[in-house]
Amino acid sequence: MAGEGAGRHAGLRNAVILLLVWELVGQLGIVAGGALPPPSDILIRLWQDRADYPRHIGATLWASALGFVIGNVVAIAGGILFAMSPLMLRLFRGINIAAFALPPIAIAPILALTLSGMAPRITLAALGVYFVTMTATVIGISQADSRAQDVIRAYGGTRWKVLRLVQLRSAVPSILAGLRVAAPNAVLGAILAEFGGGGRWGLGTYLLGSLGRAEPDRLWGIGLVATVIAGLSYAGFAVLSHRMLGATKAVTLNTAVPAGQPRPGHVAERIAVALVAITLPFTIWWALIRLSGAPAMIAKTPVDVFTYLFLSPASSTAQAKLLAALGQTLPITFAGMAAGLGFAFLLAIGTKLSPRATQAFMPIALVTQTMPLVALTPLLVLILGRGTSLTLWITISVTFFPAFVTLAQGISLVPRSAEELPRVYGGSRWQELRLVTIPASLPYLFAATRLTVPRALLGVMIAEWLATGRGIGNLLNQSRGYLDYGMIWSVAAVSVILSVVFFQIVVVVERRVLARLGMTTSE
Amino acid sequence: MTQPDGITLSGVSKTFTGRGKVVEALRDVTLSCPAGSFTSIIGPSGCGKSTVMRIALGLETANSGAVRIAGEAPLDAAKDGVTGVAFQDAALLPWRSVKRNVEVPLEVLGRKPARERDQVQAMIELVGLSGYENSLPGELSGGMRQRVAIARALVTHPQVLFMDEPFGALDQILRRQMNVELQRIWADTGSTALLVTHGIDEAVFLSDRVVVMHADPGRIVDIVDVPFDRPRDPSLFSDLVFHEVCDNIAEVLHGG
Repeated sequence: MAGEGAGRHAGLRNAVILLLVWELVGQLGIVAGGALPPPSDILIRLWQDRADYPRHIGATLWASALGFVIGNVVAIAGGILFAMSPLMLRLFRGINIAAFALPPIAIAPILALTLSGMAPRITLAALGVYFVTMTATVIGISQADSRAQDVIRAYGGTRWKVLRLVQLRSAVPSILAGLRVAAPNAVLGAILAEFGGGGRWGLGTYLLGSLGRAEPDRLWGIGLVATVIAGLSYAGFAVLSHRMLGATKAVTLNTAVPAGQPRPGHVAERIAVALVAITLPFTIWWALIRLSGAPAMIAKTPVDVFTYLFLSPASSTAQAKLLAALGQTLPITFAGMAAGLGFAFLLAIGTKLSPRATQAFMPIALVTQTMPLVALTPLLVLILGRGTSLTLWITISVTFFPAFVTLAQGISLVPRSAEELPRVYGGSRWQELRLVTIPASLPYLFAATRLTVPRALLGVMIAEWLATGRGIGNLLNQSRGYLDYGMIWSVAAVSVILSVVFFQIVVVVERRVLARLGMTTSE
Repeated sequence: MTQPDGITLSGVSKTFTGRGKVVEALRDVTLSCPAGSFTSIIGPSGCGKSTVMRIALGLETANSGAVRIAGEAPLDAAKDGVTGVAFQDAALLPWRSVKRNVEVPLEVLGRKPARERDQVQAMIELVGLSGYENSLPGELSGGMRQRVAIARALVTHPQVLFMDEPFGALDQILRRQMNVELQRIWADTGSTALLVTHGIDEAVFLSDRVVVMHADPGRIVDIVDVPFDRPRDPSLFSDLVFHEVCDNIAEVLHGG
């Protein structure tokens, strides 16, 4: 289409302008005394370092690919199971939320302690893809055309036949979209695990090793390579799904209302299910430690962590340390999240007012989304220094882009006829926004909030770990140095639990608000 | 009167519970369609006419009452390949070609579509889609997709044919065309047909009897016999007696 071509053209032009400005600024050394080197220097350095890269890239790619495959196999199997059995979905809710909300950096040291070799990297890469693909599978399966399912059932088809003939195939677009988002996550997970422990090779190791030296051009080079890998993995699946799904879009809108979930009858049963859902993650944690046979000194069970924090002689010191660190971490997490979300919301609404600006902006947003957070942090350290503003900016940047993409896509789903209604009566653009676009985007604002809660915490913790020397990210890093295993496990457990609790709070508020407005939750 | 190979519903009631409210979807629905007859159910939105069909298909279970399809329980009849079904908006699988969509019921029933290639081809020809065997649904017009759905419904040689607003999404002109064709196809197969529809003229043109339902609670208020001989000519649509029958039904429908 002509419009699309013009948009791409404008995007290219903007990219060229951006590169030229960057080159100029870099050559003049304006930003932070040369912390932002010109692209030409970065490329030259990349060329000089070319002998180092293959083994680092190879190690990271190998771990990411293996984790990607394992995580997705588990995720798709789990997604099918959860789509078929609402009870299993409810029982595994705690596990699933934890898998989504846990900041990978918090458990990276734990994995390094309990597993050996490539296993921590593969595990973290697999964890990074699990939730995305699992959700995509469940959604894809449960959104399959209910009338087509009725046809199969009307011929006496079993659930398995319905799954095989209709649901699995119609879940393919959703699963592919999931894989696309999951692919950069696998790279991010592998790099984070490399931060957390050991190994000679890997981009994360390389980055960490170069952070201490004052060589901004090398840091930028590594960041660039990581971004390209993540971006290529994303683009690969984008191309694949485009190829595969050419002519098989759903023909008509599904108007049949699917049968509502049977609400659990007894209060007692609901409480029992909720209890299992909450205790299951801890049970699995406990079982894994027991099965791994890791020494009790290093590997702590939930009971050990509880003892360390509340019962042992040193518990008050540990509590004080942890609380002080949380006092530094949490306020900035919330501030950054609020700013990132607010900015994303305003801009997404703004896309309605000037679609052209969005077209030019979207490519940058997508690049940043695939850019591994860890690659971004050292670069921001160079530019912003090691203060609080760094943490804030990292948090804003990691929350803004995913929130923006979620919101912009949600807003583009508002039916045209609904949008045009105010216009038909001579309403202004602003009235259109106020009456239709903003209310319609509310479910997506909540979806974006759910999405950004764990990312914000992760962003803050990475900044604290690598740069600022404050908060729980730093406490985690420090405890590694002191071999304070109790504290490492405590920080990991507390940050995961906090993340899950915040997520759950958003979910509850979302349900209340949307129920009052007569809307449904957006995935 | 019970016919062993038609459709019989006796005293069927159904309630739905949602958000603490109990909705009486069907109250004491009794209906008997003799073998080889064509029956239509007509009624306002929410009168439960689709629920009647879903219960007859075994997709929902009634709270009370009995359902027999060709003398069997609905799901047993389905598994024996007695029933054929076409839904509103075709409900085709968008990734399967016309031929592969028509084969779906055979696959579900565990038969080998390869062995019944002639039957599949015959059905595609019957609905006038020769040459489109390998097209995807997305490449067809609305009317053509609906014909695929009819071919799919007929591929098992069903004794009993269920149709839930199969032409609901089509425009008036196309709909009349499809009505005429459906009459021809149905006459060829000799099956017992039950059609749920919004269109009075469609119901009268196609049926031996028209069942009129009212909502709150969903119930049958009248069963009107249609007097015209078969085969019926499209000119019937402009016949005066035809309009009289339609008007009578409209009167019952609107609470007369």
